[in-house]
Amino acid sequence: MMAAEKQTGYWLDLGLTQYAPAFAIQEQILQARLDGQLAPTVILQENLPILTIGRSGSRDNILSSPENLEQLGIEVLEVNRGGDVTYHGPGQLIVSPLLYLGDIGLNANQYLHRLEDVLIELLACYDIHAGKKEGHPGVWREEAKIAAVGIAVKHGYTFHGFSLNLNPDLEAFNLINPCGVRQMPVTSIRQVLGQSPPMAQIKTRLREILHKNFALETRTAIWSDLARNLKR
Amino acid sequence: MRYDIEIPPTADGALEVTVVSWIKAVGDPVSKGQDLAEATTEKITLYVTAPAEGTLSEIIVAAGSKVKVGTVIGVLEGA
Repeated sequence: MMAAEKQTGYWLDLGLTQYAPAFAIQEQILQARLDGQLAPTVILQENLPILTIGRSGSRDNILSSPENLEQLGIEVLEVNRGGDVTYHGPGQLIVSPLLYLGDIGLNANQYLHRLEDVLIELLACYDIHAGKKEGHPGVWREEAKIAAVGIAVKHGYTFHGFSLNLNPDLEAFNLINPCGVRQMPVTSIRQVLGQSPPMAQIKTRLREILHKNFALETRTAIWSDLARNLKR
Repeated sequence: MRYDIEIPPTADGALEVTVVSWIKAVGDPVSKGQDLAEATTEKITLYVTAPAEGTLSEIIVAAGSKVKVGTVIGVLEGA
């Protein structure tokens, strides 16, 4: 069997940002992908504290009062990924590969599980033995979730993706039933290892693993350059 | 010409999805590829898009219902 043809694309690291403007960028990139204007793009970000509610979610899974959340400076937003409520904040890496399922030869469900494989491989680089749990998407270290997955697909084009806990404030997950599950334990690389490797090192390793899994080669891009090209 | 509006294929096997919402209403004109409805599994949101330009003429499966991938959930009358 011939190997899938290697795709070239972009690696777009938005750094620490608010959720909403970063998602607006993701939507513009998705539209450009749908219009055939832009190569596959992997978007990385860390968000300022926010609770997002996915399409299967409910505000009932937020255990904290709106007043308390406001006091803590935590926003709440309904978003169009699959899944329920989750927390995003500094120390958590969010990765959204904007790929075309036809290019990678996977259906949506297989792609979701491939993202879990990518995370398991990444964690194994740090001697963290993580795995999948039948019927409970995400990546688990023993009974605690270390990474969450939630994707959306339009015309075969993927968006959203996964979030991996390096060293976020795990207390924040007590404000919710994460992914709609009551008292679901959440962990982080820091909690497992006692410290987290630098974010930049994790990103470099992740990039290699994503390249290998999706026959992809990305070059580093900045949003203003991509945006300028899209407007032409 | 009538077009069936189907839940796009996502998975091997008989995956069930929930029709979360209809973005367009019966009688709305739509262009090819426009979003008509959103469906979701536990972790995957799928957009159901218009197979052709025309008018959304019938909603067969209402928001909130669970259906299998490939199910026809509405009808589009081509322009």
